[in-house]
Amino acid sequence: MSPRADEPIIVAADLVAGHDGTTELLVRLRHPNGAEGPVVLDEETGLRLMKNCGAAGLGDLLGQSWRRIVEGS
Amino acid sequence: MFDVIVRGGLVVDGSGAPAFNGDVAVKDGKIAAVGQVSGEARHVVEAQGRVVAPGFIDPHTHFDVQLLWDGAARPALEHGVTCVVPGNCSLSLAPLRAGDRQQVVGMFQQIEEMPPEAFTTAFEWSWEDFAGYRAAIEKGLSLNVAPLVGHSVIRLWVMGPASQQRAATPDEIKAMQDLLRECLAAGAVGLSTSFVDTDENGRPVPSRFAQFGELDALCAVLGEFGRMLQCVPEFYATDITIARIDQLAELSLKYGITTTFSPVFDNASTPENVPRIMARVEEQFARGAKVWPQMQTRPLDLSFSFLRPSLYFARLPRWSRVLRQEPEVVLHALNDAETVAKMVADAGPDGGDKLLGRLICRGGDAAPAAMVGRTLRDIAAERGQSCAQALIDLSLENGLDVAFLDESLGHENSERIGPMLAHPLVHIGASDGGAHLASFSTYGDTGYLFSEFVRKGGHMSLEQAVAKITGETADIWGLKDRGRLQPGLAADIVVFDADTIDREAELPIFDMPGDGMRYTRAATGIDTVLVNGQVAYAGGAYTDAKAGVVCV
Repeated sequence: MSPRADEPIIVAADLVAGHDGTTELLVRLRHPNGAEGPVVLDEETGLRLMKNCGAAGLGDLLGQSWRRIVEGS
Repeated sequence: MFDVIVRGGLVVDGSGAPAFNGDVAVKDGKIAAVGQVSGEARHVVEAQGRVVAPGFIDPHTHFDVQLLWDGAARPALEHGVTCVVPGNCSLSLAPLRAGDRQQVVGMFQQIEEMPPEAFTTAFEWSWEDFAGYRAAIEKGLSLNVAPLVGHSVIRLWVMGPASQQRAATPDEIKAMQDLLRECLAAGAVGLSTSFVDTDENGRPVPSRFAQFGELDALCAVLGEFGRMLQCVPEFYATDITIARIDQLAELSLKYGITTTFSPVFDNASTPENVPRIMARVEEQFARGAKVWPQMQTRPLDLSFSFLRPSLYFARLPRWSRVLRQEPEVVLHALNDAETVAKMVADAGPDGGDKLLGRLICRGGDAAPAAMVGRTLRDIAAERGQSCAQALIDLSLENGLDVAFLDESLGHENSERIGPMLAHPLVHIGASDGGAHLASFSTYGDTGYLFSEFVRKGGHMSLEQAVAKITGETADIWGLKDRGRLQPGLAADIVVFDADTIDREAELPIFDMPGDGMRYTRAATGIDTVLVNGQVAYAGGAYTDAKAGVVCV
């Protein structure tokens, strides 16, 4: 499923240290107006995002719709 | 005749004022004199070459359960902590009806990671209301407690199962107000709420179902009593955190209350986070609001085992594909020589030395004792293997139940964090003492403050560091007779070596009920700790003193 032109997309993904000692996933979203901002996903949500995107690595997340973050939550 | 004289130390009185050489005398649990004290005492603590400071205050803990069988909140006391604030993040053990206990136990287990025996065998659950909980912990306190009451349990008491389903009605909000009044009158230091936490089933805790009007109404009650609001904002997103800062500021101004929020982290991948938060905090303080960001001193460590899926290997697609499966499938894959050879190759031409060599074998699980605390690089060399191969084989040999630690991967840049901690509007805390027991140690942040940011980095003076975790903390929380070495105040005193105070290495120990495991850190450089004038810890050992009180 391709992202729509009028919705935020993931433009960067990185691993960060979580508050609870787990690995968390930081994704940077670019909004339709050009603004960008980071959101840190806990391990469960991050793993679900990777599954939703069929991603084996972080690079596979780039260009994906923000909706993939909340799918199946 | 004094009860105690702490003689000849470097007095750092908790006000931030310059240290001076002198004595501190104690009588009837209070500080009787500070300076050059003449006269005799029943007990003298020789403090030459040592710092004499007020006992440290830890404003963010989850010792609610542990305090029921361990009034010293070990090892908090041996780190110089003489007052803890439990009940954070919307969860406390009262008020709580007997029929709702199991539900709240699940929430506590999610945060604290305590074994079930902690709730079934370690204490007699005799209370429902806040006064009853207070009475239960007061039987054996070795340190002082300023307990918060949790918004989630107040909501659960009033709304039952609906507390995790919907907004409250006006009548329910009024009932919550009445219940909060009762708790504050019984000694709660304030109210805690959370916009983040979940229960053991992944459902939002009850406080997250509250509309803003509900929180506003509860803060009106806090205003009647002049008490605190503690909050966990959506710390994973800077913009939302800033929106919460604005909400907290409005509540602070409207009701004249002090608020605090945590956690606040600085990470290389989000370098704008803390500067933006602090800019907003400064704006709100300038308006007269009190919105204290709480920041922890220790860096963030990561841990993982092959037993559970982890994002840790998301940079290595082949590892990620294998390790995110069920344990039986992982075991099968790791027993396939071809798969393992490809994984090892993917770890790099050095066999994963650069990527994985720094990992530390943690222990507390099925790891062989001889491996605990050693780096994977060291273990691999001993086995004559690459780091990647050793990681896989060690896990396979122990049913995948070997945990590894990657230290200081977040909130770790002391050159950035030191000035943040020294900022006059940053409240040092957020230790989470008593929580995350099976994941990492939450003890020794105060020792780390002195070793990393006073001695090593020089980011603040000894006097500033002491004031941050004593006098300033007492002021923020309204603990009027704590936090300073002044005549008339409570004699909570720590004697420590400024050259050596620190936290020791993290180790697994099995001292929880049911032989449950937790990670802890022992203290270095703490000589003596007095609580309300009685020696509670000295010479590396706890005493039998039970002088702690609920100090609100």
